[in-house]
Amino acid sequence: MKNTLLGLSCIAAVALSSCGKDKTPVQNTTVDEQEVITQFVNVVGNPNYADIQVKATALNTAIVAFLATPTDANLTAARVAWKSARQPWEQAEGYLFGPVEDNYYDPTMDSWPLNRTDVDALIGSSDAITLTSVDALDGFSKGFHGIEYIIFGPGGTRKAADITARQKDYLKYTSESLLNTTTTLRDSWLVKPADYANEIINAGKGSTAFKTRKDLFVTIATQMAAICEEVGTGKMAEPFTERDSTKDESSYSHNTTTDFINNVQGVLNVYTATYNGAKGTTSLSALVASKNAALDTKIKTQIQTALSAMALITPTFEKAIYDNRDKISNSQTALATLQATLEGDLITFIQTNIKD
Amino acid sequence: MKKLSVIGALVLLVLLLAKCQKAAQFPADKYDERLSGGDATVFDITSHSFGNMFPGLSGYDAEVHSLGDAAFSKIFVTAPAPINPGLGTIFNNNSCISCHHNDGIGLPTAGESNSSLLVRISIPGTDAHGGPLAAPGYGLQLQDKAVFGKTPECKVNIAYNEVVYNFPDGESYALRAPTYTLSNLYTALSAGYMLSPRLAPPMYGLGLLEAIPESTIVAMADPNDSNGDGIKGHANYVWDVATQSRKLGRFGWKANTASLLTQVAAAYNQDIGITNKIFPVENSFGQSQYDGLKDDPELADSTLNAVRFYAATLAVPARRDVTDATNKRGELLFKQGKCESCHRQTLTTGINVAFKSVSNQVIHPYTDMLVHDMGPGLADNRPDFLAGGQEWRTAPLWGLGLFEKVNYPGYYLHDGRARSITEAIMWHGGEAESSKVFFSTLSKVDRDAMLSFLKSL
Repeated sequence: MKNTLLGLSCIAAVALSSCGKDKTPVQNTTVDEQEVITQFVNVVGNPNYADIQVKATALNTAIVAFLATPTDANLTAARVAWKSARQPWEQAEGYLFGPVEDNYYDPTMDSWPLNRTDVDALIGSSDAITLTSVDALDGFSKGFHGIEYIIFGPGGTRKAADITARQKDYLKYTSESLLNTTTTLRDSWLVKPADYANEIINAGKGSTAFKTRKDLFVTIATQMAAICEEVGTGKMAEPFTERDSTKDESSYSHNTTTDFINNVQGVLNVYTATYNGAKGTTSLSALVASKNAALDTKIKTQIQTALSAMALITPTFEKAIYDNRDKISNSQTALATLQATLEGDLITFIQTNIKD
Repeated sequence: MKKLSVIGALVLLVLLLAKCQKAAQFPADKYDERLSGGDATVFDITSHSFGNMFPGLSGYDAEVHSLGDAAFSKIFVTAPAPINPGLGTIFNNNSCISCHHNDGIGLPTAGESNSSLLVRISIPGTDAHGGPLAAPGYGLQLQDKAVFGKTPECKVNIAYNEVVYNFPDGESYALRAPTYTLSNLYTALSAGYMLSPRLAPPMYGLGLLEAIPESTIVAMADPNDSNGDGIKGHANYVWDVATQSRKLGRFGWKANTASLLTQVAAAYNQDIGITNKIFPVENSFGQSQYDGLKDDPELADSTLNAVRFYAATLAVPARRDVTDATNKRGELLFKQGKCESCHRQTLTTGINVAFKSVSNQVIHPYTDMLVHDMGPGLADNRPDFLAGGQEWRTAPLWGLGLFEKVNYPGYYLHDGRARSITEAIMWHGGEAESSKVFFSTLSKVDRDAMLSFLKSL
């Protein structure tokens, strides 16, 4: 019996390893580290930050159209534009370092929870609502979730006719303020000579942010792991363990699961140097594969596992907290596994293989 | 003869053994100058290097740390609200992390949503426990923000006067001297009030600093300068609200807080306006901003304890490039300049059978935990228990080289006036005057070596 088991497991092992072999990418002899960095900037970072601004512009245009003609159809269009603007932003959270952190653009645009009591009080007051006054508000009284609160409303059921004149004022300037922040953020990456893209490309060659290339790669890997942790043990955990859907991040729009998936899509983007259909000529994945094909496969598989697990959270995260709990806990497990691989194996790989 | 040789052999043996014994006084097996936090050290040089959990915590402890981590990031909002209610009504910022960015030192601005500077206030005299005397209508801390519909206590204005100086060799540096003034006061303020600006300090290694035996700290004190070296450090003894007793002060820029529990609880209450079991009364009680809600304490005891535990279990980043020749040279100069008289390299934490992560650890915090006269340039002229108006606690230097990475571009000293380590050194005065002069008269190459050493911490 024992022998049979042994035989079986041998066969299984052989079978598995041959399966593995089929998937193993062709081993590159060398992958140019500098090219990996350049591709990350040109294919992921720059287009992603530009895209955030483009989508925020479209959101603002949709809101302006709704304010001019406040129909339910225009409100729906604004909601679609809001969700569309969330996508590049949430994906950029897969590599949350640089100006977005250093200059506090993240809390300015995406503070959560929204200070609903204060927003309601402001709207209910006779204080002037202008671009200047909205700019001066703390992050938690404006940004993505301020807009979300007005256009979706609690429960996501708001009608165009229910939105008051003061709410419209608040919506108008909150949207403008958000657009301005995304413009500044984009420029901080792209506009020379002080562009952060250049800081990254010059890692180890005079960059002040990254004295060595190893610094940069460790930072990238750390941030990939950090977003997995934030989603799995941060954003998912509290509403899940407390069985309270009011504790979800994008609960008005029911966009919570999509936000999470986009966060992990951001991790995949960084790792494989892909964004919005474009694919870099080389990537961190290719670099890992050239020296440790098994690790590359493991990381890609675990990212896909996490994405697939989260895709099963239906119909909304808010509802799944109560009646689809295993889907959420499976996602958390997948994210924790991925996080451990990134923090452990990937960072060790970088420490070992990236010399300068 | 035989007897003599036996005796001789025995004497030799004893000598040899004694020699062996002596050898043991050299650094022990596990001594490693990279391990700034002993076993609680992490090898991380990224912008998140201040936010790592102690390695090797048990599953349970790791869970509590994570809960504390999540609570540390929680943004509070105005009550009533389904999530995190209770902000203010007056406050300095809306979450722990809003000031302690990346668990590090913050930005030296006041009143913005990313500001990390707060201002303490008091009037001449002392309270029943020997502490500073609250300013009527304002308390001991100025809250310069308020929820919608309430008035902040004031606006804090910071103005800098920048002066360019030269080192003896001609290289220049600039020091910006801050002036703090108040405007938009919500009510009259007593004359003769004293202000003390305080920047949010970094969060790592606090559990280790709490574990240094009081006897070790007190043994380093020399208030009467009996050894004649010009250094007169002394301990600050303060009133600890959590235990209702007088204790050695360890935390805060003037060592005015005895325990992490009190530190965390006071920050919730004073900085965010979140009442808790240690400080159950709103910071605006008795003032026009008071909300009168019957929702105190606003923070669960378990959350308070988890955040305390989180603060106690953030690991210290390891030193880098310890064998680099320039850094070695810089380290030697650091010692020759007698910087180590206060910035003590190595201390050992006490035995703690209940929490082995901080127990009996050889650590390199570069502090003596004592308060020292730092001269008139840095003085806030606001006594805080036994710490005088010119006295500040020796700031731990571990992790110093990562400030610019974690909180770019990096600010230094109690109010963030220094924009570089050079500026921070050149602000030293009082007991540290001769060490500052030592640094400034070094050759450019040697000054750079010392800075390189400090950046390796």
